[in-house]
Amino acid sequence: MKGGWRAGVLGLAAALAPLLAGCGRGGAESGTVTLRFSWWGNDKRTQVTLQAIEAFQKKNPNIRIKAENGDWGSYWDKLATQGAGNDAPDVIQMNESYIAEYGKRGALLDLEKAGVKTDRFAPGAADAGRLKNGLFGINAGINAPAYMANPKIFEAAGVPLPDDRTWNWDRMADTARRIAKACPKGTYGMENPVGVEPVFKLWLRQAGKDQYGELGMAWEPADGAPFFEWAKKLASDGATPSASEVSEETAKPIDQTLAATGKLAMWSQWSNQASAVEKVAGTKILLLRPPSATGRCADNKTWYKASMLWSASAKTRHPKEVAAFIDFLANSQDAGRILGTERGVPANLDVRKAVEPSMSETDKRVAAYLDAIASDLGPVPIVTPVGGGKFESILQRHGQDVLFGRKSPAAAAKALHEEMKGLLK
Amino acid sequence: MTDARAGFRIRSAGKHALLIAACILMIYPLLWMLVSSLRPTEVIFRSPGLWLRDITAENYVLGWNALTHPFSHYLLNSGVVVLGSILGNLLSCSMAAYAFARLRFRGRNFLFAIMLLTIMLPIHVVIVPQYILFSKFVWVNTFLPLVLPKFLATDAFFVFLMVQFIRGLPKELDEAARIDGCGHFRFFTRIVLPLMTPAIAATAIFTFIWTWNDFFSSLIYLTSPDNYTVPLALRSFLDSSSGSNWGAMFAMSILSLLPVFLAFLFGQKFLVKGISTTGIKG
Amino acid sequence: MNALGELGAPGRRAMGRKGDTPDSKAGFLFLLPWLCGLAFITVGPMLASLYLSFTDYNLLEAPNWVGLDNFKRMLGDGRLHNSLKVTFAYVLIGTPLQLALALAIAVLLNRGMRGLAFYRSIFYLPSLLGSSVAIAILWRQIFGTAGLVNQALSVLGVASPPGWIADPRTALGTIILLHVWTFGSPMIIFLAGLRQIPAEYYEAAAMDGAGKWQQFRRITLPLLTPIIFFNLVLQIIAAFQAFTQAFVVSNGTGGPSDATMFCTLYLYQRGFGLFDMGYASAMAWLLLAIVGILTAANFFFSRFWVFYDD
Repeated sequence: MKGGWRAGVLGLAAALAPLLAGCGRGGAESGTVTLRFSWWGNDKRTQVTLQAIEAFQKKNPNIRIKAENGDWGSYWDKLATQGAGNDAPDVIQMNESYIAEYGKRGALLDLEKAGVKTDRFAPGAADAGRLKNGLFGINAGINAPAYMANPKIFEAAGVPLPDDRTWNWDRMADTARRIAKACPKGTYGMENPVGVEPVFKLWLRQAGKDQYGELGMAWEPADGAPFFEWAKKLASDGATPSASEVSEETAKPIDQTLAATGKLAMWSQWSNQASAVEKVAGTKILLLRPPSATGRCADNKTWYKASMLWSASAKTRHPKEVAAFIDFLANSQDAGRILGTERGVPANLDVRKAVEPSMSETDKRVAAYLDAIASDLGPVPIVTPVGGGKFESILQRHGQDVLFGRKSPAAAAKALHEEMKGLLK
Repeated sequence: MTDARAGFRIRSAGKHALLIAACILMIYPLLWMLVSSLRPTEVIFRSPGLWLRDITAENYVLGWNALTHPFSHYLLNSGVVVLGSILGNLLSCSMAAYAFARLRFRGRNFLFAIMLLTIMLPIHVVIVPQYILFSKFVWVNTFLPLVLPKFLATDAFFVFLMVQFIRGLPKELDEAARIDGCGHFRFFTRIVLPLMTPAIAATAIFTFIWTWNDFFSSLIYLTSPDNYTVPLALRSFLDSSSGSNWGAMFAMSILSLLPVFLAFLFGQKFLVKGISTTGIKG
Repeated sequence: MNALGELGAPGRRAMGRKGDTPDSKAGFLFLLPWLCGLAFITVGPMLASLYLSFTDYNLLEAPNWVGLDNFKRMLGDGRLHNSLKVTFAYVLIGTPLQLALALAIAVLLNRGMRGLAFYRSIFYLPSLLGSSVAIAILWRQIFGTAGLVNQALSVLGVASPPGWIADPRTALGTIILLHVWTFGSPMIIFLAGLRQIPAEYYEAAAMDGAGKWQQFRRITLPLLTPIIFFNLVLQIIAAFQAFTQAFVVSNGTGGPSDATMFCTLYLYQRGFGLFDMGYASAMAWLLLAIVGILTAANFFFSRFWVFYDD
């Protein structure tokens, strides 16, 4: 009787498992296919997405879509856990920083092979989701790095708005200094770029390098040091917020930042977030091209990005239906009109034309901005490789070390480079 | 006589005043949240103070209806999970605690140590294997992964708590019961459980509060928004990348604090009931 | 009278002799739910994570065995050492403070005043909010660079106050304060323990002329030691696993400059953020070893100060 009960318990477990596995979620009624669809976003995005699902279901009565939406912060933990359990949703809203992590490891479906069309996309837009081993994400909205300006603060400071076709980084810094001096304490000329990935990337590209290349890292510590030095000087000059304020900014959601609350004159932001910021700031926000090193906007080497992408789980049991749904989201004018520009400007040019008349004033300006920078584009950047997804938070950490005086700019650039090299596999 | 009484009144008034001041300090952040829920969202972050200028109930109305279901749906979901958890914990943890505290059997020490070990491993590395396990049972997106473990005494915290309480009961009780021919089960249900009321109350209160506020496990196991519990539903108001509905979120947070607060107020009565040992010691 | 000694006695003696384990059948039955839970839900995943700690596992592909590599990595991982420092500081400073405050308030609110239930509820309220997203906002409203504390300081004339949650030198302090602020749970447990002390003891002592403080030292404290011990053990275990508050206040970064990067936060980042679950599992088991040793030490020393009536 010694080990008897133990054996009994284990036997019980073994006996129960298949029984319980049998009484699982109810099977689908014959003929209906159910797809699980996950995305992140606020309640406004949830609203329009649910409407789009409705429209699709009307056209395809044998396909049901189950919504599994959440917020950005918890989205990735959930997806990773589901991925580990081979349980990921059929249709997944994806981000450029993670697409390689999932795509290169076989967790995503090759959408080109599955039949999603991208031939009506703006040139280059489809490549946003292309990895060496296939097309794993369909561009759900185009955006690009932009600098935003709050004209009210410029007015109050008596400083003229800069000409974004001819400004360079030094001129921007000067403008920022002038504004900070003329404004009350707590209002600054510009954000501190030390933790902003797109600005860092612009600096690398304008120096002829880039963040990533075919073989991994495409920059050296010596390329990163000037960036940290410049950021440090900006902070000590008072043009940008203090070190504490800068580190506090990184923890704030978009509608509580200094920019949104009217305390910054200029800052960088992804173009598709303009209306969110405008709403909270309560004033019109201008979109400016990023500065260049030379003062000629054609040299600013900016790029188009997909604000988010539509991906699918490689383990889905319904690849045809999944492809049909993604095709609907990306290429149908109905979907385009419902979803609007909430996720960015539609990549499909026909859809974009159909949506244009109903765009809000802000979104029209965003679309105009994207068109205007078409002539400034640098080479198409490589999709963030495996291991690179957390670059921005790593950059922020080293940037904080610089601003708080714990590391010299050169040491920080070296540490950043080493850490990224270790993560890229 | 009156002087002493007046002195006492002044001292006790002073004590109350101090306590009230301490209370305000303690719950200032909550007061701010309450006040913010009555302000329109755009204004909330402009003032860290408590002064209400434009009171509006719109956050409550909007927040109640902002998600796919009225907020009561999510309160009900949480309620189901919580009540199941309380029942499970009370049943299974008290039984396990009795075994560890009063019964003698081989391996008791070892098993007790194992039990403590189970709470020393951070949940983040256990959740992936657990998820895979539950997913094989196809229990994902049901309340089962959240409630069933409670019926199997997986909350070692409460087992340990009850062990400590049971150990505080005098051994004479056991001897008297044995002389009376009382078996373990009757002894447990008739004598031990009633004497452990503070521990049971504490278990019920804590299970309520911790299960009500649980976020990470609910996030992983409840995939469909229809099944969301309150913490998940509150998160739905937010998205750090596209602008959030703070007013509604604060309003619904205040609303969801009410059941917990009431449970606590009510449960305190049982914490207050002490044991009278005169009958036993004498 | 020591805690484990009592528990250990039967185990050491009995080896197949039925007389020394009279309650095996009853024990098994009472423990049955727990044993089921152990078998199905707890032990399996724990052993799985132990296995994973010897592998390179990225969640999406099958784990592959790397032996002791993860543990070797830990020796040279500066961020891990920093996180251990942060965690130890939090435990050594935060836990005693929180427990002392909880005990003091519990004793104060035990008897003898009107409105006790109300005050107790108010003091418990902060713990209700402990893990919600709202805490981050509230803490920033108070301890942010433009928060209430700094506003008050500038009114008092302080020129450049520290950034509190945003300054690496003070950030951990604000998290410790948050931990102490949420002392409600240990307070309730102390209250429950105080309630189990028979009132007759106090009456008898008062008749013998003992004052309030003497009553506390001679009656309350000794009889409360099992509960103090319980709170100490579990709060230390919990403090080593501190995660939510730092996660929510620093927005998951453990910043600024890793000043609030607790061990569990770091292992969470590596596991879920960098798809490095094998290394995260190794770190978790390191944490378990540390906590296990500390808990065993706690139990060992309890024989010198914990008083059980049995």
